[in-house]
Amino acid sequence: MKNLKWDISRLKNWIGLGFLVGIAFSLTIIGIGFIMLVYISGFSNIQSQVRLEQLPAAIIISSGVLLLLLIPIMQVILSVVFFSISRNRLFIGISVAVLCLAAISVALLLI
Amino acid sequence: MILCLITPLNDINLWALGGTGIIAGLLGSMLGVGGGLIIVPVLTLALGLPIHIAVGSSLVAIVANSCTAAGLYTKAGLTNVKLGLLLETATIPGAIIGGFAAASISPSILSALFGLLLIYVAYTMVARNQLASEDIAITNSASIRSDDADNSLSASLTDSYHDQNQEKVVTYKVKHIPFGLGFGFIAGILSSLLGIGGGIIKVPVMHLVMGVPMKATIATSTLMITLTAAAGAFIYHYHGDIQPFVVAPLIIGIVIGSRIGVELTKRIRGLWLRRIFGVFLFLVAILMFLKTANLI
Repeated sequence: MKNLKWDISRLKNWIGLGFLVGIAFSLTIIGIGFIMLVYISGFSNIQSQVRLEQLPAAIIISSGVLLLLLIPIMQVILSVVFFSISRNRLFIGISVAVLCLAAISVALLLI
Repeated sequence: MILCLITPLNDINLWALGGTGIIAGLLGSMLGVGGGLIIVPVLTLALGLPIHIAVGSSLVAIVANSCTAAGLYTKAGLTNVKLGLLLETATIPGAIIGGFAAASISPSILSALFGLLLIYVAYTMVARNQLASEDIAITNSASIRSDDADNSLSASLTDSYHDQNQEKVVTYKVKHIPFGLGFGFIAGILSSLLGIGGGIIKVPVMHLVMGVPMKATIATSTLMITLTAAAGAFIYHYHGDIQPFVVAPLIIGIVIGSRIGVELTKRIRGLWLRRIFGVFLFLVAILMFLKTANLI
């Protein structure tokens, strides 16, 4: 049965917004960390390895990066929620399968 | 080991990282690929970073690029979310198998075979005109409605979007789903074996085999790359191969480039995008042959 109130354009809006809000948040955090780094070390005294005085900036940037990596996973979770509300069993299964397969692939590669 | 990680990132290098990000973001979002083919060589050859740091940074930048582009494309209605999710169910198992197979297959043989495949696909993308594109996409709404009624998987993947360039709504039906899943599986294997995002395989398959218009193909491929690259980047993050001071300027640059690329894609004709992509594939194929022959 097709629930018109929950058509695919709504999911597209959710996912589109989810990506953009997520990227804005993570980019803001990374930007703050980067400005902090330049303030502490200046433009010409930065190396790829983190020094002690640069640690706060590195932690802030790393938090932003971690948030960035979680954005795609959140979109699949959003799809599961959407398809559950719209009672689309086939795509609930497909979205859950994608989440499980992604988790399995990461787990296998870490072993 | 530690010494090789201490790479000076002076002001010129920071600008170079930002600039590389902008170019990778622009091309990646316009062609539905991650941009790793641009980032990794610059980080290793021009900036002298170790390969594992370069690949880890590249994957994070690809996630930033594809998330920005996927957000804009999906909000504009171009992405076929259901198709992206369905193909991922085949691509991820392929990537897992590819990861295990990587140890037993000679990378040079594989690169050469892959280069040949790319040349064939590039030729098809550039030379053939009468294939599914925005110009000939299904616009017969009566046939789409009758497909909706039969509740098949193909009907549930039917999607539409507003084409800004042509000023019309393009509705299309996804064809040859088993073939698409099969190729998705192969794309997963090759992406693990060759360390690529997989967009260079997914885009031609979705467009040429499954009949998805070029703009929707690029948008859907971008959505899929977010997941594939994020899974890879988590592993590099776990191993400590993501250097915050390298990725920060790269991410800022790639997000700027990605936004410009998305706006250009919306305005360019699908046929031109296909031709640009074909030329891009030719260049990648030549690079792969040169690498196989140890010339670069």
